[in-house]
Amino acid sequence: MTHDERPPGQGVDRGGGSVAGGDLGCEDAMKNVFDYLDGELPPDYSEKVRRHIEMCKRCYPYFNFEQAFLDYLHDRGVKPARSDELEERLRTLLGEVDTEDAEGCD
Amino acid sequence: MSEKREGFEAEALIHLDGLYGLALRFTGGDDAAAQDLVQDTMLKAYRAWDNFQSGTNCRAWLTTILRNTFINDLRRRQKRPVPVEFDEVAERPIYPQLRETDPEGRFFERIVDEEVIRAIEELPEDFRVPVVLADLEGLGYQEISEILEIPVGTVKSRLFRARRRLQQRLYSYAVEMGYIRGE
Repeated sequence: MTHDERPPGQGVDRGGGSVAGGDLGCEDAMKNVFDYLDGELPPDYSEKVRRHIEMCKRCYPYFNFEQAFLDYLHDRGVKPARSDELEERLRTLLGEVDTEDAEGCD
Repeated sequence: MSEKREGFEAEALIHLDGLYGLALRFTGGDDAAAQDLVQDTMLKAYRAWDNFQSGTNCRAWLTTILRNTFINDLRRRQKRPVPVEFDEVAERPIYPQLRETDPEGRFFERIVDEEVIRAIEELPEDFRVPVVLADLEGLGYQEISEILEIPVGTVKSRLFRARRRLQQRLYSYAVEMGYIRGE
């Protein structure tokens, strides 16, 4: 694998990074990609990552890519599902609870 | 029909399909288990209905009951959780393969909903549950850590690995379907 083909976060840019400005290197920014996108980094560190990716030609598209993936998951993951069988069974069981309640009042 | 039942049907039962959809994600597509989970949730909610304040967020309340019911059951079943082994190929990032051809990840949008749902369902349970809580329900790491009773670092690591696995799975599907060129 050549340097250019190396996956983000697994490169040799230790600390300073090759393209970016700011006081954070590519490797530090990339290994925190999900923490950053999930809004889980401490505010000052998050700001450092933000400044880094804004100026880094290598990290900026990578962060966008991961954001697109998370947005996709969030939008597509849960769809309502319909089960007439479940609803019918549930209505019967709710009726049984009503009966129990009514008997409890006597 | 009693007043209690009328209120429950109007405010809670209308969320049945949404809860069932969420339950299916939690159970990894196990229909019978999902139906049982929703049934338990709804019965618990109905028995506690007098404590529910009408007009507040009923969907959120039901979701909390469903999630807690599932997690409690999971704990009972998983006395000794077996760690999911690291799979170098399945957990490799896909961005390097797409940096030139699809750096914006447009191919995700071409993948049908059923495929991502299947991909989530096929994740090992230890990975699937944090993904459902974080990516589908939008909960934070700390909250997930408390719900699952695992350290925040473990939540992060499981989410990271689960997301990589999902990406690899969707990437393979997209290559197979001809949406992107494989390498």
